[in-house]
Amino acid sequence: MKGYRKYFGKKILWFVITLIVAVILNFILPRLMPADPVAAITGKMAQGMTDATAVKEIYERYEKEFGTNKPMIEQFWIFVKNMFKGDLGTSFSQYPRKVSDIISSAIGWTIALQLPAIIVGWLLGNILGALAAYVRKFFDKVLLPLSLFLSNVPAFGMAVVLLVVFAVNLKVAPISGGYAFDMIPNLSWKFIASVIEHYQLPFWSIVLISIGGQAIGMRSMSIYELNADYVKYARFLGIKDRKIVGYVFRNAMLPQVTGLALSIGTMIGGALVAEIIFSYPGLGSTMYAAVTAADYPLISATTLIITFMVLVVTFLLDIVYGFIDPRVKAAQLD
Amino acid sequence: MKKLVALLLSLIMVLSLATAVAETVELPRNETLYFAGQQWGTVNSWNIIGTNQNNAMAIAGGPSGYRTLMFETLYMYNFMDGSMKGLLADGDYVWNDTMTEVTVKIKDAAKWSDGTPVTANDVKRTFDIGVEIGNGTGTGYKAYIAEIVAADEKTVVIKAAVNADNVPVNPLKVVDFLSGAPIAQAAWIDTVAARNNNDPVAILNDPGEDVVWSGPYTKYYADDQKVVLVRDDNYWGQDESMWGKLPVPKYIAHAMYADNAAGEVALKNGEVDVCQQFIGNVQNLWLEDGLPISTYYEEAPYGVCLTMPTAWYNMNLPVLANNVALRKAIAMAVDYDTIIANAMTNQSPSFADVPRSLMNPTAGEQALYNAAEVAELQWAGNDIDGAIKLLDEAGIVDTDGDGWREYNGEKIALNAVCPNGWSDWQASMEVVAAAGAKIGVEITTLYPEYSIYQTVFVNPNQTEYAIFMWSPEAASPSNPWTRVNQFLGTEYVGVENNWSGNWGQYVNEEADALIKKIPTTTDAEELKALYTELTKIYLTEVPSFSLMYRPSVFHAVNESVWTNYPAGDDGRNIPPADCTDGYGIAALYELELVNP
Repeated sequence: MKGYRKYFGKKILWFVITLIVAVILNFILPRLMPADPVAAITGKMAQGMTDATAVKEIYERYEKEFGTNKPMIEQFWIFVKNMFKGDLGTSFSQYPRKVSDIISSAIGWTIALQLPAIIVGWLLGNILGALAAYVRKFFDKVLLPLSLFLSNVPAFGMAVVLLVVFAVNLKVAPISGGYAFDMIPNLSWKFIASVIEHYQLPFWSIVLISIGGQAIGMRSMSIYELNADYVKYARFLGIKDRKIVGYVFRNAMLPQVTGLALSIGTMIGGALVAEIIFSYPGLGSTMYAAVTAADYPLISATTLIITFMVLVVTFLLDIVYGFIDPRVKAAQLD
Repeated sequence: MKKLVALLLSLIMVLSLATAVAETVELPRNETLYFAGQQWGTVNSWNIIGTNQNNAMAIAGGPSGYRTLMFETLYMYNFMDGSMKGLLADGDYVWNDTMTEVTVKIKDAAKWSDGTPVTANDVKRTFDIGVEIGNGTGTGYKAYIAEIVAADEKTVVIKAAVNADNVPVNPLKVVDFLSGAPIAQAAWIDTVAARNNNDPVAILNDPGEDVVWSGPYTKYYADDQKVVLVRDDNYWGQDESMWGKLPVPKYIAHAMYADNAAGEVALKNGEVDVCQQFIGNVQNLWLEDGLPISTYYEEAPYGVCLTMPTAWYNMNLPVLANNVALRKAIAMAVDYDTIIANAMTNQSPSFADVPRSLMNPTAGEQALYNAAEVAELQWAGNDIDGAIKLLDEAGIVDTDGDGWREYNGEKIALNAVCPNGWSDWQASMEVVAAAGAKIGVEITTLYPEYSIYQTVFVNPNQTEYAIFMWSPEAASPSNPWTRVNQFLGTEYVGVENNWSGNWGQYVNEEADALIKKIPTTTDAEELKALYTELTKIYLTEVPSFSLMYRPSVFHAVNESVWTNYPAGDDGRNIPPADCTDGYGIAALYELELVNP
């Protein structure tokens, strides 16, 4: 138990150090872009203004309000201080909306789209990989190559193909948005049905391209395990196939769990393409818009969420690994 | 385990839905007019005296056509004939003899949504608070308007700012205020100011959810995906002194599309009725796809072009500043017909149809200068021989035999720049680069992200972009003066964060003197002479060159649900201004259902 405590103490220490470095980088990197977001706000305000001094006044007011006229280090301390208060700042591109407000209204959509898609893609991929390794035949000859083909289609390509085929040509799916264009959100079956209908294309565009990658990994691991000595030995002992397969997949699963955890950690970035092509609400498109507009506070916040999610997931992974794999547990106890 | 996962997933779905719950359900299709191309992000404010609103359906536009769905201006500008029609104002505005004061009467019928009358004091307070807190109206007009006085409850006197000789600074800009400044209710302004302790920044950032409006629509619903306005059936404008009826659609809805492509697909599918987006080869929608989609004119250019996206020469670069011949040669060599055919898919008249000048292609502006007098200076483009001759005569030749011309012994190497992703502009810059190659001037294209582009091109000292694109003003009561000032005026030279004009930093004192005379010139002949002289200077000096003509708002409509949209030949004189801007809003009162 003492070994465990030491192991996780060390892990937590590294977790905190990584987080601090990440916060610093999240703050600095967007601000190194050679773009001036205050100029963009001024530009929007100044449309149709002919008086040059008026435009200058506007620029200076925003510069003061956003604190961009202060030295970088001072801006950083303000950023950290506000972060502890849960204030991620005010967005440049959607000024005067608060960053926290923008994120809270978008994050639900991203999680609802990405989490099920990642899990379903992962499950289907692993089942296919396992079947391709064990049953072979149709699974190995047809389904696996097909899924590999699909997974090599770029994300935007898949999304566009689905959109054109099912929404534009066949007209069996809606073209854009998170719910019907003529609806106002409400808790009714009709609305829920509309949300589910709009969910299909973005969902499958993510699932279809993730199956192949998962399947090929699972297949190789399974074939490796199926030929391992312990399998042969178990067969000699006359243990039932079913039982053996159980052991095999438990072992083959380990790297796959890492893959799953990391895709959950990076789901915001993964949502970007589907959200943009299908005009689906969420954090991916928010982040994209923030980057193109050099909206520092919003970029810092979204990248911070990604960093935080990856860190938490890898940390949890370390704990979970101990339970799944006794060898890892032994190493942790050392 | 499987059950747990399923339960978790359903829970997440339901929770995410619950974040966006409101009370109502579906918008009846035959009562709703759908828009695309205006609103690109979640609505951030309903505060009419606030700042930086992205609320495109409620708070948008300028003197060329303020969007008067929810908030109203004194007058509505009609860019088809340059006329001003009273909205809150009753009858025409009246100048005094010295053009230092303009008087406007407010309609008796004009009311706020809370039932109180619109008064002269509302206009005064709107301007005053704008100056106090520095919003767009205050900052934009305080250089031209000294004071607004409420002479009586319904009479507004706008006093122009004057110079030392008691001559108004710019009466044209005072008129811009009449069609460009939305009027807010004085009582509501007081409420907002009080709850924010008169703190200017707090007032500007107040979300204004409780705002009082005077227009025919008000907010109904807004989230990350759409914004919906609902008709105010108590709207004062149904009085005979104004429209005499309510606008036809009960709801105005705008879904947020990720990009132009998504909006276009929605238009084709009949999910959008009015589309303010550039659609390449728009005619194919009805000619090839057989869709019930139309534009203002059935034939090219399909819409009314009001502005001209322009390539500006950077005068901070000596090679451009010192060589008129080089500037003119490049401009002469550019194949504008290719730009118009490819980048604009012919949604622009050619420079043979409307020869280049400082004017937009509308008949009103074209009549303001003497075309015959400048005909020799106007070039239609693709004149490679002429351009080469010009360069050779100026001594800008290839001295080292590498195929590129030199200036002071150094190869001329320019870049042609516009923001990345602005595909029609990028196509134009490619044509400019190709023209350079044909005349031995190396021009390479460069497409930075917009966030970077806009930081550089507004910097008066920048030397990074040699030839770069930006559009001057479209139409408004103060145009073409405003646009001429943007092309040639020196007041923007050296100004930091220069969004206002003369982005190439060109200086010409003679032009400047002429520009200053225009706002106070009322004699039509004198005005024409001034504009003609300025056009001569512009076409001789070539500090910039326009690449195409372009509408300020695009106007494609799907007639599967609504019909009787304004069209060029219908005699109604309603401009194609998206059914919402300036006098374009008249369209909403004339719409009819395809299947009543």
